[in-house]
Amino acid sequence: MELQGEFVFDGSREEVWELVRDPEVLSSALPGTQSLNQVSESEYEGQMTMRVGPVSGVFAGKVVVSDEVPPESYTLAVEGRGAPGFAKGTGHVQLVDQGDGTTLMKYEGDVQIGGKLASVGQRMLETVSKSMTRQGLETLNQALQARKTAEAEGREVEYTPPSETEFAMSVARDLAGEVFSPQHRTVWVVVAVAIVSVAIGFWLGRRK
Amino acid sequence: MTDAQKTGKYVGQRVTRNEDPRLLTGQALFVDDVDLPDMLHAAFLRSDYAHARVRSIDVSAARTRPGVVAVYTAEDMGDFWRPGPLIVPPPSKVEGIVFHARTQIPMVKDKARHIGDPLAVVIAESRYIAEDALEDIIVDYEPLEAVVDLEKALEPDAPLVYDDLDSNLAAHVIQEKGNYEAAREQADVVIKRRIVIDRGAAAALENRGVVAAWDAKSQQLTVWDTTQAPIPIRNGIAAMLGLSEHQVRVIAPFIGGGFGPKIMMDQPEEVLVPWAAVKLNRPVKWIEDRRENFIGTTQERGQIHDAEIAVTRDGRILGLRDVFLHDTGAYDPYGLTVPLNTQSHALSAYDVPNYYTEFRVVFTNKMIVTPVRGAGRPQGIFVMERMLDLAAKELGMDRTEIRRRNYIPPDAFPYRHVVIDQAFAELIFDSGDYEPALDKAMTMIGYHHFLKEEQPRLRAEGRHVGLGIVSFVETTGVGPYEGARVTVESSGKVSVVTGVGTQGQGHFTSFAQVVADQLGVDVRDVRVVTGDTAQFHWGTGTFASRGAVVAGNAVNCAASNVRTKVLKLASKVLNAPEEELELADGQVRVADIPEQAISLGELAVLANPLRGAVEPGTEPGLESTDYFGPKTCATAFGVVAMVVEVDPETMLVEIQRLVIAHDCGTVLNPMIVDGQIHGGLSLGIGNSFYEQLVYDENGQLLNASFMDYLLPRSTDMPPLIEIGHLETPSPLNPMGSKGVGEAGALPVPAAFAQAVEDALADYGIEILETPLSPNRLFEIVQAARGADE
Amino acid sequence: MSALRVKEVDVDNSMTISVTVNGTRHVRTVEPRMLLSDFLRHELGLTGTHVGCEHGVCGTCTVVFDGQAVRSCLMFAVQADGHEVLTVEGLGTIEELHPLQEAFQDAHGLQCAFCTPGFLMTLVPFLDENPDPSEDEIREAIAGNLCRCTGYQNIIAAVKLAAERMGT
Repeated sequence: MELQGEFVFDGSREEVWELVRDPEVLSSALPGTQSLNQVSESEYEGQMTMRVGPVSGVFAGKVVVSDEVPPESYTLAVEGRGAPGFAKGTGHVQLVDQGDGTTLMKYEGDVQIGGKLASVGQRMLETVSKSMTRQGLETLNQALQARKTAEAEGREVEYTPPSETEFAMSVARDLAGEVFSPQHRTVWVVVAVAIVSVAIGFWLGRRK
Repeated sequence: MTDAQKTGKYVGQRVTRNEDPRLLTGQALFVDDVDLPDMLHAAFLRSDYAHARVRSIDVSAARTRPGVVAVYTAEDMGDFWRPGPLIVPPPSKVEGIVFHARTQIPMVKDKARHIGDPLAVVIAESRYIAEDALEDIIVDYEPLEAVVDLEKALEPDAPLVYDDLDSNLAAHVIQEKGNYEAAREQADVVIKRRIVIDRGAAAALENRGVVAAWDAKSQQLTVWDTTQAPIPIRNGIAAMLGLSEHQVRVIAPFIGGGFGPKIMMDQPEEVLVPWAAVKLNRPVKWIEDRRENFIGTTQERGQIHDAEIAVTRDGRILGLRDVFLHDTGAYDPYGLTVPLNTQSHALSAYDVPNYYTEFRVVFTNKMIVTPVRGAGRPQGIFVMERMLDLAAKELGMDRTEIRRRNYIPPDAFPYRHVVIDQAFAELIFDSGDYEPALDKAMTMIGYHHFLKEEQPRLRAEGRHVGLGIVSFVETTGVGPYEGARVTVESSGKVSVVTGVGTQGQGHFTSFAQVVADQLGVDVRDVRVVTGDTAQFHWGTGTFASRGAVVAGNAVNCAASNVRTKVLKLASKVLNAPEEELELADGQVRVADIPEQAISLGELAVLANPLRGAVEPGTEPGLESTDYFGPKTCATAFGVVAMVVEVDPETMLVEIQRLVIAHDCGTVLNPMIVDGQIHGGLSLGIGNSFYEQLVYDENGQLLNASFMDYLLPRSTDMPPLIEIGHLETPSPLNPMGSKGVGEAGALPVPAAFAQAVEDALADYGIEILETPLSPNRLFEIVQAARGADE
Repeated sequence: MSALRVKEVDVDNSMTISVTVNGTRHVRTVEPRMLLSDFLRHELGLTGTHVGCEHGVCGTCTVVFDGQAVRSCLMFAVQADGHEVLTVEGLGTIEELHPLQEAFQDAHGLQCAFCTPGFLMTLVPFLDENPDPSEDEIREAIAGNLCRCTGYQNIIAAVKLAAERMGT
């Protein structure tokens, strides 16, 4: 599965670079992360609960950062394994100074998925990974802004990352957006509250 | 046809089924309905990798979870761990065969060879807890590169599925009839194409399951199994556990659809669940879930053919050359049955004087391949029918005409094909008359009217409609044998017991019809038992469209012998010669003197005296056990035709009309036969357009659920399937029947391809693969357009 | 396959529920994650409802829940607390088949019959609302139920037959 995209951070490249190397910030960026520890200069290890449609479970993973050219680019090698299956991938990240105080992050990667995760269907996998990536980056950006504001005001950072429920609802909304046409928008409320696949199946079972 | 059939009132009639009331009210036992006190539940940990060395499996955490009773890996099995038997050995009659047997193992020891390969089994108080415990198990995998593509698998530097072999070649078989090369020289037209067929699943609605209960006090093991072959399963379990065959009872109760994979024997779960039940001295149940079914139950159809046909200017086939690769998956326990069937059926219904056929079986890191409804025959039919269509196009000949010119003529039967088939005998077609089937199908579909009037008119409106019409044959009723025991009971009712199992084919009714006619009783008074080794323990099982032919004839034979005993005894009791007696309404009476009668029940009591002596050389009671073993396969045949419309924007294909002219010899129950044909056709439609098992380059199955593996729904089927029956009785069995179970699945992909090609004729495409999909059709059309520009 | 939670239950892993099935009220204590299909089949012993996929696509597990056809594999038993369920066992008996069941037999609308209870329970509310359906309407109504044996043709014929008989 290929993953690529762009995202604009409200900060300089140096600020973004620091942010994405901070394990505390990273672990809050993706709710479901149970632990994330930096074990060496370039290696992180952690555990995360993942949910893709009907498949969920805990993943144990490792991230290795390499080819660092601060504050321009780096390569990430990710490996994760758990009850839901395994994932292995590489990604390249580029940070571009937009000249107006913002940074454009460009990322592209390739992930191999196996086990239960691989068999739920590529439609769900793609949507969920895009959604999770976007969510994570948005959260990082919010954390960045909170950090900058706190610094400017000379106080501690006050920032609450989104809860797992809010996160799941957001992913569910994204999935609903892909599955349902605009006429059925009212249904997404039900979808967002329940886990996505339960709701879809329930809806299908009540065909009139 | 037997005498009883000529005068009887049931055989040949649309008798509604004896078993239906129980099935309709939820009172029929399926394996998952078995509930025993103290029962434990099993869940299997299956490999997430298609190819990986398993360095260690740590089950310690799983063992401590509350509610978990045991966790076993291959190591825990000790001496009980061994590869299963080779279920079908290679045919000894074919010379020069290369064959490497690699049979299924109960659990992985060194290497996982496909996703779904079992690594460990958890036994717990509930299935919920057992599945929770699966997540506690830590496996140290060393992932290896997987082989998925058939051609790449045979390249010299390909990763090896088996390290002790020097390649992934599992088997190599060459068969010849006549001399193809010489024939090719004489040909006016030679057409060569590559044809690709991909995998599909049987996808019975009931997943597999096993329940085993060991009674230590009586030293008896009872096993309920969703199997099509209870007797071989019993023998396998007894052998594995070191028990006498009579200590093991295997029951195949009502089964929710078989379609082939449930004939596979000694599957890991069938070995492990009984073993665990004995070890733990508690009943153990395992029921597969749907994802497991996709990755852990056998499947079929993957082949790549390089086919060549040599024809004369008049469309006469001089020869066929077919060289193909066959995907067997990670193990090959079922031998060469599937590719041998392909070899046989690539000849379809035609007189092919020269035939060169060669296949290589390839190990891949995918699920094991064993027969699925059709069992290799659809692939053969697809190849020949496509080649004929291409030849017809090349020669500017009508597609029915080219077929007509090549049919085996009715006076050429039994027709000898020289090549050896899956029954290890020479492929001989026993009987048939193919032209009437073609004529019938053409009439039913309105062939000429469609081509001359409907199609041109609709095309002028911009619609893309097409017609497909293909021929097929089906070898059925394969041996070795089946048996049956018929008994008249003191109540006057009759019991019939046979060793085959039933998965919806209506044996409880069709066999009852045969017996009812022989003995003059009401069909509802005949009670049929199938699939219980305690009641009958000689036989193989239900597969290869052989139930009615082989078991049915055994039933007929036994019933006929009981009839003989009845007449003999009744003659003495009623003091009348046998020729004057008739069996009707549950009685034996003297014709024209109704008062001189005795009920069958009373006669049965007399046949089993409590005093006096039974004469030497005779048996007590009105009972007979008989076996029937056909010499060769009975050949069914037919013609399928369909009209489709393709939406050129969405590439969705709608089947508007579907007809089939079919001959399965003597029909026992036309209602049941029609049902079998409907079912086969719907699977064929699935194999043509909706169903495809998609493996990625790492051997991951990407669509292991019904969300993404699409079975045809009611709205995907044509509004009406029309069936036209023909009857050419088989000379190979007393009833004259031929099988029909797989019939519908054989010709549909070929007919579909022809019809879609016809519908999109203005794009000039060639369809050389199955299954299709809207995406693939779009790509094929684009490629054709690109080639034109 | 992990459990799916719809609502959080903080009781120590069990709940007492009261469900009326086929007119009889059953009170049981169950884990919140127990599926309704498992509750019916294994807790209450009503094995007529079958399970084909557990992900809500095949329709085999369909039961009637407060008058509507639902997939019991996608519901939790605790969701049925205080509700009414009708399963195939409540439709008819061997001695007295429901006209729909009789029609299925007469039209040979079942072969292995694993999917059949799901079809029957889908059709009961359907025929209630559509006592005189066209063939197309029947085909649509059962499009959410998979059958591998029959190709659907005889099932549709059975429904037509049942509608005719139930109408008179």
